[in-house]
Amino acid sequence: MSHPIEDLQRISVKFPLAMGCEPELDGVIPVFHRWIQDRAVDGMLIDVADYAHVPQGPGVMLIAHEGNYALDLDRGRLGVLYARKQPLAGDLEQRLAAVCCAALRAAELLAGEGEQFRIAGDQLEIAANDRLLAPNDADTDSAFRPVLDRLLDRLFDGAAHELCRDEDPRERFNLHVRASSGADAATLRQRLA
Amino acid sequence: MTTWKEKLADQMPEEWAREIDIFEKQMELRRQGKVEEKLFAETRLRRGAYGQRYDNGKRNDGTGAKPLDYPSGDLTKGPETVWDAPGMQRIKIPFGGLNPEQMDVLADLAEEYSDAICHVTTRQDIQLHYVHFDDTPTIMRRLAAVGITTREACGNSIRNVTACPLAGVCRDESFDVTPYAQATMRFMLGHPDVQDFGRKFKIAFSGCRQHACGLVSLHDVGAIAVTKEIDGEPQRGFELYVGGGLGAVPQQAVLFDEFVAEGELLPITQAISRVFARLGEKRNRARARLKFLVKKLGVEEFKRLVLEERKTLPHDDAWTAYLEELPSYGEKALKQAEPLAAGEQAQRFERWRHTNVYRQRQEGYCVAAVTLPLGDLTSHQMRALADIARRYVGESVRTTVEQNIVLRWVRESDLPALHAELEELGLGEPGAESIVDVVACPGTDTCKLGIASSRGLAAELRERLASKQFELDQAVRDMRIKISGCFNSCGQHHISDIGFYGVSRNVGGYAVPHFQVVLGGKWVDNAGSYGLPIGAVPSKRIPDVVTVITDAYLRERESGESFQAYAERVGKKALKEKLSDLTKVPSREEDVSFYSDWGDPREFTIGDMGAGECAGEVVSLVEFDLSLVEELVFEAQLALDAGDLEAVTEKTYRAMLQGAKALVKMQFHDVADEPDQIVAEFKQRYFDTEIFFDRFAGGKFANYLFRRHESHEQAASRADARELIEEAGLFVEACHTCAAKVGSQPGAAEKTSSDSTVVTLEI
Ligand code: SF4
Repeated sequence: MSHPIEDLQRISVKFPLAMGCEPELDGVIPVFHRWIQDRAVDGMLIDVADYAHVPQGPGVMLIAHEGNYALDLDRGRLGVLYARKQPLAGDLEQRLAAVCCAALRAAELLAGEGEQFRIAGDQLEIAANDRLLAPNDADTDSAFRPVLDRLLDRLFDGAAHELCRDEDPRERFNLHVRASSGADAATLRQRLA
Repeated sequence: MTTWKEKLADQMPEEWAREIDIFEKQMELRRQGKVEEKLFAETRLRRGAYGQRYDNGKRNDGTGAKPLDYPSGDLTKGPETVWDAPGMQRIKIPFGGLNPEQMDVLADLAEEYSDAICHVTTRQDIQLHYVHFDDTPTIMRRLAAVGITTREACGNSIRNVTACPLAGVCRDESFDVTPYAQATMRFMLGHPDVQDFGRKFKIAFSGCRQHACGLVSLHDVGAIAVTKEIDGEPQRGFELYVGGGLGAVPQQAVLFDEFVAEGELLPITQAISRVFARLGEKRNRARARLKFLVKKLGVEEFKRLVLEERKTLPHDDAWTAYLEELPSYGEKALKQAEPLAAGEQAQRFERWRHTNVYRQRQEGYCVAAVTLPLGDLTSHQMRALADIARRYVGESVRTTVEQNIVLRWVRESDLPALHAELEELGLGEPGAESIVDVVACPGTDTCKLGIASSRGLAAELRERLASKQFELDQAVRDMRIKISGCFNSCGQHHISDIGFYGVSRNVGGYAVPHFQVVLGGKWVDNAGSYGLPIGAVPSKRIPDVVTVITDAYLRERESGESFQAYAERVGKKALKEKLSDLTKVPSREEDVSFYSDWGDPREFTIGDMGAGECAGEVVSLVEFDLSLVEELVFEAQLALDAGDLEAVTEKTYRAMLQGAKALVKMQFHDVADEPDQIVAEFKQRYFDTEIFFDRFAGGKFANYLFRRHESHEQAASRADARELIEEAGLFVEACHTCAAKVGSQPGAAEKTSSDSTVVTLEI
């Protein structure tokens, strides 16, 4: 029997910034406003939400109808995040890939704004933003890992990777991925295309 | 696939579950076009599902107004409110009381349906922003399963019942008001007598008269705990106040009764509700709050009607049933009291303890305030805080009207460890309830009515003040700053030492964000007095305003003098003079940063305003006239300070006339200086054509002028005079907006609709 996670739509992916990259959060505000003007990333872009004042918070967000982009600082880890809100077409692996691509496209554009925005390229954090379909437990884990493994093989071009999960049942189902080798945002995105 | 509805079926109170099902059905009917949009909007608001900025499907992206093509197309959830547009979900937290299980769920909801931020409001609610409307029934079910309802969180209903966050542990209270606040909330929630109000209705409880925690004076009904000896026995009751409110024209609540016995609290509140529902204004929203009814009838007559009504109420056991449980009511400490270990502590801890820890009445226990910047905390922080609460205090957590969270019943010996854990989470900052702890409404970040960025300014001030807070004199540290994005006062700017509210000014054809500086408000004594604006300063110079005012206070104050006493002694005129250099706006060529708002690089706009050269000249003339009018309003304030009510009456009337004349001159330069002609021309050119109209409030501000022109009645009291000043100030603001609009749209005078952003709406 299939696991409900097969129906998961609310997926969030974050690509942490490279070591030593610590941009001022405020610096991304004009960038996101420009993206809205230029329709630089996918989605119906609505507004910029500034949470730079919140310690270890969501940083600066670009709110879109389909999903939110952010230069995110949750739990003190800086990264480029995309959190999907509206349904996507395709099976779970295709949806995961689409969410990764959206985050990577944002990462690619941000990298163009300066070296300080460069992602590490060998890590990502995935969360299932839906506690009904994907409770943070071993069942979800075993249903999700094969799908994720297939995606990671493509993303990291077959490089070995480690996964770890915060097992607190109150947390969203989450996996932190670290690969033995990485690439820049554009390359990673091409691999998923 | 199991749904949340199925999963939580056994955990939700039956009645609440049924109501949410009905709401979901109404949503479906609206989708099918079977419910009228206005009616549906009120239904939605009564479930706490609120609109948010840009939900009309338009946004100025800095290059001009652009459509936001939400996929739902023409489907709306209210007038000019697109179904798919992100909205705000307000969640009622009666008296701010939370338990860890509820905190966990709030964290989950913020993460899954919002932007991972729980926002604490100035009325102890929690708000989630950027929520999709389709998700609201699920949010409501998940809340209901842990005992939280969003029912009547917005709309024309009884809003969250608030109370001092220290109730029950305060060293100065008469008694713990918590069970009374809770009983009032339970009794009034969904009560048939509160379903037909013309406006919202707010209730607050305070344990004492002298402290600010309950802010009784700014509520429709405010109850202060008092005890009275009756037949030799101490009896509990309430000093009851009615008719307070902030908003555009603030009003101090007036004494209804010195002692309403505890058993009469609920029936009297019910009777007040009935009288309000029956006699309160329904059509004109601008005059529909209880404060207008109390003013119109006079408090004596209002009281007579309420007591008459009380006699006719059918008996209800619920009026007093809760009193039987009172003796057993009370929070229990999780741990045995223990004093703080002797010895030196780290400086960071000591600083935090100095500002954020309150010694409870109960020996060995404290209340620890968790300072939330701008009232925000992340889902992760909320969940971790729930854990901390479980380990240190059990269930005793409350939100505060200063947008913080407090943990009660912390034993003293645990304070260092607690602080260390909070620091880990980024929640261990000192400065609670000080000048650093700036309060702000959502403003232009998310509020549809915001004119200037209150949160952007608050974040800026907070950052600047935090870095030097321990170098500041204690007198300055004890001051409060509160900011609203517009005159509607959700940031409670009237009751702080230094308050600000957002306005716009036209400079050379460009809109420039400004804030009115409000001085003279009083936070203590349950918001004992309200401040008045002394003049508008460009937004980018507001940090300098804070420096100038606080420096002057430190330099010139007399020993032990509070800021309010200082401001009263030196006078508003002298304070305004100190700010005069700061009111100037450099040209765009000199400094373009003045033409955008804090944290928002887009060129500032209050609509789709352009910069026509020709219009620019006309506007600058009218702006000049309007600045003279503002001076008149300020003079009226000085007259009020001097107790000259006649002068207030005359100056405010003259200010409105001159404001109207300034607008008329834009079309008909030779208008005579004769009141009848000014009013007639203004009416014909701006009112009948609806050019002066506000999108939400219609002709409200123009009616201030018409009323004064018809009746030359003199202000009978200071409160009346204050109201005249507020009205004149709002009329002038509306003139500014109208002038900017007409100036930016050549030919707008011929149009019949308005896109003004000077608006008032249910908040
Ligand atoms: S209506 Fe005005 S005061 Fe209220 S939240 Fe909106 S901007 Fe702030």
